Amino acid sequence: MSNRKYQEKAIESLLCLSGVTAVVILFLICIFLFRDGLALFQNYSFIDFLIGTKWYPTSQPNQFGLLPLLFGSIIVTFGAIIFSVPLGIAVAIYIAELAGEKEADVLKPLVEILAGIPSVVYGFFGLVVLVPLLQNILDLPTGQTALAGSIMLGIMALPTIISMSEDAISSVPRSIKDGSLALGSTEWQTINKVILPAALSGISAAVMLGIGRAIGETMTVMMVTGNTAIIPGFPDGLFVPVRTMTATIALEMGEVPQGSEHFYALFAIGSVLFITTFITNIVAEYIKKKYKFNMGAGQ
Amino acid sequence: MLQIFLNGYSAISIEFLTEMPRKRMTEGGIYPAILGTIYLIVGSMGVAVPLGVLSAIYLNEYAQPGKTKWLIEMAINNLAGTPSVVFGLFGLAMFVKYMGFGASLLASALTLALMVLPIIIRTSQEALITVPEEYRYASLALGVTKWQTIRQVVLPAAIPGMITGAILGVGRVAGETAPILLTGAAYFLPRLPDSIYSQFMALPYHLYVIATAGTNISQTRPIQYGTALVLLAIVLSVNMIAVSIRRHYRKKLRN
Amino acid sequence: MSGQNNGKQTEIEVRGLNLWYGNNHALHNISIDIPKNSVTALIGPSGCGKSTFLRCLNRMNDLVKNCRIEGNVRIDDKDIYSKEVDVVDLRKRVGMVFQKPNPFPMSIRDNIAYGPKIHGFSKNEIDSIIEDALRSGALWDEVADRLSTSALNLSGGQQQRLCIARTLAVKPEVILFDEPCSALDPISTSKIEELIMELKKKYTIVIVTHNMQQAARISDNTAFFLTGDLIEYGKTDQIFENPKMKPTEDYITGRFG
Ligand SMILES: Nc1ncnc2c1ncn2[C@@H]1O[C@H](COP(=O)(O)OP(=O)(O)OP(=O)(O)O)[C@@H](O)[C@H]1O
Ligand SMILES: [Mg+2]
Repeated sequence: MSNRKYQEKAIESLLCLSGVTAVVILFLICIFLFRDGLALFQNYSFIDFLIGTKWYPTSQPNQFGLLPLLFGSIIVTFGAIIFSVPLGIAVAIYIAELAGEKEADVLKPLVEILAGIPSVVYGFFGLVVLVPLLQNILDLPTGQTALAGSIMLGIMALPTIISMSEDAISSVPRSIKDGSLALGSTEWQTINKVILPAALSGISAAVMLGIGRAIGETMTVMMVTGNTAIIPGFPDGLFVPVRTMTATIALEMGEVPQGSEHFYALFAIGSVLFITTFITNIVAEYIKKKYKFNMGAGQ
Repeated sequence: MLQIFLNGYSAISIEFLTEMPRKRMTEGGIYPAILGTIYLIVGSMGVAVPLGVLSAIYLNEYAQPGKTKWLIEMAINNLAGTPSVVFGLFGLAMFVKYMGFGASLLASALTLALMVLPIIIRTSQEALITVPEEYRYASLALGVTKWQTIRQVVLPAAIPGMITGAILGVGRVAGETAPILLTGAAYFLPRLPDSIYSQFMALPYHLYVIATAGTNISQTRPIQYGTALVLLAIVLSVNMIAVSIRRHYRKKLRN
Repeated sequence: MSGQNNGKQTEIEVRGLNLWYGNNHALHNISIDIPKNSVTALIGPSGCGKSTFLRCLNRMNDLVKNCRIEGNVRIDDKDIYSKEVDVVDLRKRVGMVFQKPNPFPMSIRDNIAYGPKIHGFSKNEIDSIIEDALRSGALWDEVADRLSTSALNLSGGQQQRLCIARTLAVKPEVILFDEPCSALDPISTSKIEELIMELKKKYTIVIVTHNMQQAARISDNTAFFLTGDLIEYGKTDQIFENPKMKPTEDYITGRFG
């Protein structure tokens, strides 16, 4: 009898243990990333890293300035958001409000498929199709630019934005919509004045996660942005090659000796990246929570 | 997409799929890359699926709302949003360096396992939630223990949903490049991997290499298209299977 | 008021039972004796705590968070809330049939075999248990030729009888019914009522019902609950023909919401 109780307890402990592994992994990621990242600052000034404008990891003396890479990531992400947020929300509205069941049945799996394509395939596609196209149309010396990265990242962020926004829009109570339509508003006025504001926080959470995705994306960006580490201007920076934090790590890690300053510098970049996405996740989560609460109170 | 399909299709043949690359990867097949990707899938799923399913069971069936549960779910959310290249760095620091696995299949598979863990946990949780509470009550009221109830009633009912999650995970593992690039994927290897400590080739990284760093990029376009198509075919068919299982299952639930 | 022993041997003895869901004091100081091999009906308006009381008898309330219980429940003269008692064993002895039929998504055979299999009966034993249980559950004639088809294809009434048979298969002493007929049509209902009358020869039965006629038809004793109090308990004939308390009379005569 008590034998069985012990057995049940043992199983529960085992399950708890596997549940906690997620926490342990997150914790280990912090430790390993920050440990090697902080190792850079034994010999290199933290301020120089943070506000340095030059990334010359192999020159003498080497310079590990974060800014060109940070701005590279920002400009590519920014471009992606400008392009994908309006489009994503429009598609979400269409699927949730305007499309018939049949169209939604085609569009939704299509979005899921879009989400499943590996980033390296997006990168390849960008490289063989988009890059030459941009070069010809805009008459640039090279098509490998921040813009190419933005467009590809925009496409890749679309599924996240569409499916989460669609959830947010669909969860606006039917009664609110009907109430507005009953007052004689047109369908479009209802969407614009009633549904979108009600779904706003859900949509913002979607956008935050989309940003997180875009900042963290590596292979695609690496293949289409040209990877030149200079601080881009705006908006002309869109039309020149840039280098993001992610691409820098992936490109240079293969060549650096383990334990060198350059090696640690890449971990420092990784730490910055991790902290950035950590914050976007928390913010998205917070917005989502708040929004759920509002919806609950509103009903 | 169509372009990849058309150009890729003409490049694919049995030899392409079963031969080693030749002449600095400007000719020959992609067999070692396919094999490497399969090893990665098996290795990482072997770790992530049991761990993820057990975690999901804990979260849905045992954990009481409170600090522990909040902490675990927060961690899962953040892991899901962590960039793959950061997982790569972590795998490099922890598995390759600290645990001494070296750049290897083992290190890469473990890194990928951690990366897909949140997907597996979430889809498993979703699957468990759809199992009606009545089944649990019925079983417990028969004098069956909680764990037996989960094993005999809850899990069988949740399995289709969990399989969907695992398949989505497979798609993700097959397509990821950045983590394996940092933890063990090789640019080119003349031999197949012979142990879990060997380096290996994998489809996504192979595509990246031949598309950007080959000796004669424009001349090897057909091989690039072929590789892209094979990769795309694997990932998409895997996803399509997952999506259709899920649909079938949801429809059945509704009736 | 406290329950009386009605001559027969007592199977369930409840003393001073109080129950809280968080701050909601759902059962107030309930004392009652439920005799062996009889049908005891629990009646009362919605939300008065009938189901809650029933779930105290096989400790299903243990599954509810924030649920706190005080007092004494003895079944077969053993305190079921004492530390030494294994809930799992208790629930084997005190079976429960729910409001909504809840067969497992398995074959008819596997539904019945589920309990005995886990409790370690051999294959041969299980085969005879299945037939016995289905016969006692008055379902054998209807399903004997399709034991391996899914239980979900049965009608609601058949499903409920399957759930009863499933409970019988683990050989309980007491069976608790929580409004077992409320989701069923009149014909299925009368079949289940007949079955319950038959079962009381071997089992002690406690049944929650909203249907006054049903309580009058099948029960030996009736307990009337109101907002967490046990108002009146006695022989069913007495409760229906000659209630001692005003609220009982109001409820039975339908002068109650
Ligand atoms: N799981 C629970 N958690 C919190 N409160 C509960 C729970 N179950 C029941 N209650 C509360 O306890 C009280 C009694 O509920 P109970 O379900 O026992 O009533 P009932 O007599 O069975 O009603 P009905 O005839 O509608 O089934 C109610 O106030 C109810 O809200
Ligand atoms: Mg009830």
